[in-house]
Amino acid sequence: MTNDIRLSSRDLEHIAQERVVETLSRPSLSYWQDAWIRLKGNRRALISLYIVIALLAFTLIGPLLWSVDPSVQDLDQISQPPGVDRRATLVAPHVPWHGGEAETAAVDGLRIVGAANSQAVRLAWDPIPGAVRGYRIYRNIFPIGPEKAYGLPLVMSIAGTWYEDLLDLKPRDYYYTVVGLDEHGVELPDAETIEVTLPRVITIDEARGRGLIAADATPQLGDPVTLALHPLGTDALGRDLLARLMHGARVSLFIGIVAPFLYVMIGVAYGAMAGFIGGRTDAVLMRFADFVVALPFLLFMILFKVMFGLGAGESGIVPMLIAMVILSWPATSRLVRGQILSIREEGYIGASRLLGAATPYLVMRHMIPNTMGVILVTLTFAVPSAIFTEAFLSFIGMGVAPPTPSWGSMCNEGIKTMLTTPHELLFPAILISITVLAFNLLGDGLRDALDARMRSRE
Amino acid sequence: MSKTPLLAVEDLAVEFATYGGRVKAVRGVSFSVDAGQTLAIVGESGCGKSVTVQTVMGLIPIPPGHITGGSARLRGREILGRPILDGKDIRGDQIGMIFQDPMTSLNPTMNIGSQIAETLQVHRGQTYKQAFARAVELLEMVRIPEAERRAKQYPFEFSGGMLQRAMIATAIACEPAVLIADEPTTALDVTIQAQILDLMMELQRSKDMAIILITHDLGVVARMADEVAVMYAGQIVEKGSVDDVFYRSSHPYTLGLRAAMPSNDREHGHRLHPIDGSPPDLFHPPVGCGYCARCPHAMRVCAEQPPATHAINTSGSHYSRCFLHHPDARDKRVPGIHYPEAGA
Amino acid sequence: MFRYTLKRLVQGLITVWFIATATFGAMHLVPGDPLSGEKAASAEIQANLRAKYGLDKPVLQQYFVYLGNIARGDFGISFTQKNREVNDIIREHFPVSATMGLLAILFAGAGGVLWGALTALFRNRLPDVIIMFLVILGISVPSFVMAALGQLSLVKLNAFFGATVLPVGGWGTVRHMLVPSLVLGLGTMAYLTRLMRSSMLEIVNADFIRTAKAKGLPAARIFSKHQLRNASLPVVTVLGPAIAAITTGGFVVELVFAIPGLGRYFVQAVQQLDYTVIMGTTVFYGAFLVFMVIAVDLVYGLIDPRVRLQ
Repeated sequence: MTNDIRLSSRDLEHIAQERVVETLSRPSLSYWQDAWIRLKGNRRALISLYIVIALLAFTLIGPLLWSVDPSVQDLDQISQPPGVDRRATLVAPHVPWHGGEAETAAVDGLRIVGAANSQAVRLAWDPIPGAVRGYRIYRNIFPIGPEKAYGLPLVMSIAGTWYEDLLDLKPRDYYYTVVGLDEHGVELPDAETIEVTLPRVITIDEARGRGLIAADATPQLGDPVTLALHPLGTDALGRDLLARLMHGARVSLFIGIVAPFLYVMIGVAYGAMAGFIGGRTDAVLMRFADFVVALPFLLFMILFKVMFGLGAGESGIVPMLIAMVILSWPATSRLVRGQILSIREEGYIGASRLLGAATPYLVMRHMIPNTMGVILVTLTFAVPSAIFTEAFLSFIGMGVAPPTPSWGSMCNEGIKTMLTTPHELLFPAILISITVLAFNLLGDGLRDALDARMRSRE
Repeated sequence: MSKTPLLAVEDLAVEFATYGGRVKAVRGVSFSVDAGQTLAIVGESGCGKSVTVQTVMGLIPIPPGHITGGSARLRGREILGRPILDGKDIRGDQIGMIFQDPMTSLNPTMNIGSQIAETLQVHRGQTYKQAFARAVELLEMVRIPEAERRAKQYPFEFSGGMLQRAMIATAIACEPAVLIADEPTTALDVTIQAQILDLMMELQRSKDMAIILITHDLGVVARMADEVAVMYAGQIVEKGSVDDVFYRSSHPYTLGLRAAMPSNDREHGHRLHPIDGSPPDLFHPPVGCGYCARCPHAMRVCAEQPPATHAINTSGSHYSRCFLHHPDARDKRVPGIHYPEAGA
Repeated sequence: MFRYTLKRLVQGLITVWFIATATFGAMHLVPGDPLSGEKAASAEIQANLRAKYGLDKPVLQQYFVYLGNIARGDFGISFTQKNREVNDIIREHFPVSATMGLLAILFAGAGGVLWGALTALFRNRLPDVIIMFLVILGISVPSFVMAALGQLSLVKLNAFFGATVLPVGGWGTVRHMLVPSLVLGLGTMAYLTRLMRSSMLEIVNADFIRTAKAKGLPAARIFSKHQLRNASLPVVTVLGPAIAAITTGGFVVELVFAIPGLGRYFVQAVQQLDYTVIMGTTVFYGAFLVFMVIAVDLVYGLIDPRVRLQ
């Protein structure tokens, strides 16, 4: 274990011992600065924060940019998915048909008479042998398979051999089936089906009334016009989905943010009081909170809604808000009480007291900053659950009253046409999901950033 | 050395990948221990003593841990990185280990007896019944009263000292050749500490076990150890017999530790002398001696080159990693430092 | 343990009393009384109905009659379906909701523990990433959308096979129950998976796992005997609230899948302002939840010795 190197006298010079080894390698940061730096380092939380900001912009600035009235119906475009062809052809006003020309058609069997379009479809057919009790007509939007599932009939029975369909026609493919009925009114086995593709048409008066053509223009029949734009399509009543989503966001986010804010504040006040006073008061206050927690939440939400009643023209937002606040505060109060109790036992509180700090100072300087993080995290997590509650209640028809849109009530309306026009359900559902996701991830990020002890191991 | 030592660790180096970079926690540590002997590894928190033994036991998580070099041999056979010999896990069987905090080191939802029995079931192939009966005997051996009843209790029903006894019973269940005790008494009351140490020494005598004792308590070292390795910043800075290290300290850090320890020795007076400063940043270990910044006798070379080890006695069993023992520096004769007798 | 059980039961009864009182209070704070809205009822008929439902008595007396009835387990007679007892309604519809809820809890609990353990084992590797992505979806998508999607996929499934593999709605056989229960349990399953994962990851670093390794136990034994059991304790503690969430979440699933459960009936009753049914169902559900939470706590005590022996 010998050393090969030689040491010179310079090497052997005594050097001063470093007296102050503690050098601050990085600047001192306040609690919030530190939390902000940690939050910025969390990519998921940061993206969620941007999404939340974008949602607020969508809600607050959106309606200014897309100023379509969410309650106005566009009857030409009902349940229309986004991105369809909006061109229509000008036609003459509808004239009722009385079966004329039905016999003169060149084709045998089931046939279309004249030009079928979204205004009217005129069907005519040759008499079917054995169809004593007339005919039954079905209209489907899917091809009829071998199992002959026609669904509900368009007409139960009709005597003649012609029919004019004016019912809620859309520019799309339809499959008409005519079935003869025997003397007992039972459907005959043979049936004929015809497929027809309807072009979109609009009368000149209608087009002018909707402002699609200028009042002084002299349009010709057969001229093309372009219908109003609905970027995200329309709902079953022909209302613009984008506008409804923006106005619905106001309701959903308003409840989602204001209700948690209110009940978290109440919970904080209540919990802080219980924790601070302690003793018997604390026990009584907390017992009461336990009772409120035990109330079945959604049932009581509904119950309170009934209790507050709904007058004409009311949207039901305020009763929902009140009900949510009444039922939701205890969780926060428990949390804050626990925090206050544990902080009271901390050494630095005792030290501060020994140094002569008065109670208000202790509360302002130590208690509030040290519970702030927990409160903020609770608030962030309360938002998605409030949004869920609103959506849930509106979905089962116990929430915001129509015509006020909210994402939940839009889902409720959309689910009825889920199979044919899924976009009416999808768009509000996606918005709810994104919002809830963003607030959840933001909450995770905040919790990690604010409280090292609660940091999730991911 | 002709005889193969029971457990020999050679040039062990371990790093941890963290967000701040790679921490060189252990930087070339060598030691060995023989049956019936006790080796104490002392040093302050973060000096790498726990990492060293946990690496030998295969307990450091990989990643972030990473063994960058060295070897650990049990009876001459390599166990580093994969503590398995002849298809059998040597942990719990040939090397037992007890930990610092007995309160959290036992499974809270399993009764004490079952936790001891588990080792026997796994290594000795005993049935649960046999193993549990043996666990009761072991609890008696570590002096737990009413062992039969106690074996069916859960950790939260035990006191700290009792739990550490139970830990010892678990560790010695398979009569291991080596017992590693990682700060076994740090979390315990002083009176309990003595009992636990006595128990360990007694078990060592009856089973001829080797003990590796990790501690920062020099009092414990003096009581238990045959040999002492003083660790600082991931390296052994002085190693020798207890008498060598205590009475013939030849490294400034060892001197510093002794000065910081309460003692009956009137020569030093009653004042304790803390070592100023803090250990170096192991993200970027210093080029020279790790203790340089805190050393009252630091020389220019100490900051510029890593010191080698220098034998203090003729056999080389006592050595110091310090430039003061470099042949060119011996003339400095720093007071307090033990220098080898002339001719060594 | 016995004393603890007794104490919890008494507390539970007091809580049920509070729920009953709150329900009574809420219903009697409604402006006017339940019958004033009845259409085309002459003053005489109204008076008769008042007498029948005891609404002519002072509120305090009504309250005590009501409490007495509840104590005997009698929730009165439906307002809208004359002469139908609320008890009958509950007896008929609750088992359906309970069966679905039980299946959902089973799905959620088993799934949560399984997926959570898997994600922890494959931490930051592909299975973990995939499962955690699904979990985030499960937490963020509202239950009614899940239900709608579940039904949509049933329609597609049946269309694909050209036969009714699993019925799209209704109740009766196991085939009816499968998808609604799964849909109902999904949100809770996602939540439990997350909880289980973080609990597993916390326990991987626990001292007693290190001890188990130092004892040379095989990885499988450490996983099953030491890790899994301790990690699933937090999951058991949240099962009480989870049951509450699943019971009320059942409303939507029952509506979407046309299942004749109590939840759907409750929503109907609210729409028709059937006061006795609303009150009866609320108190019944409340009591059910209170005692489920107590049951979960007691079960937890059996699993965790620290609770059992104190």
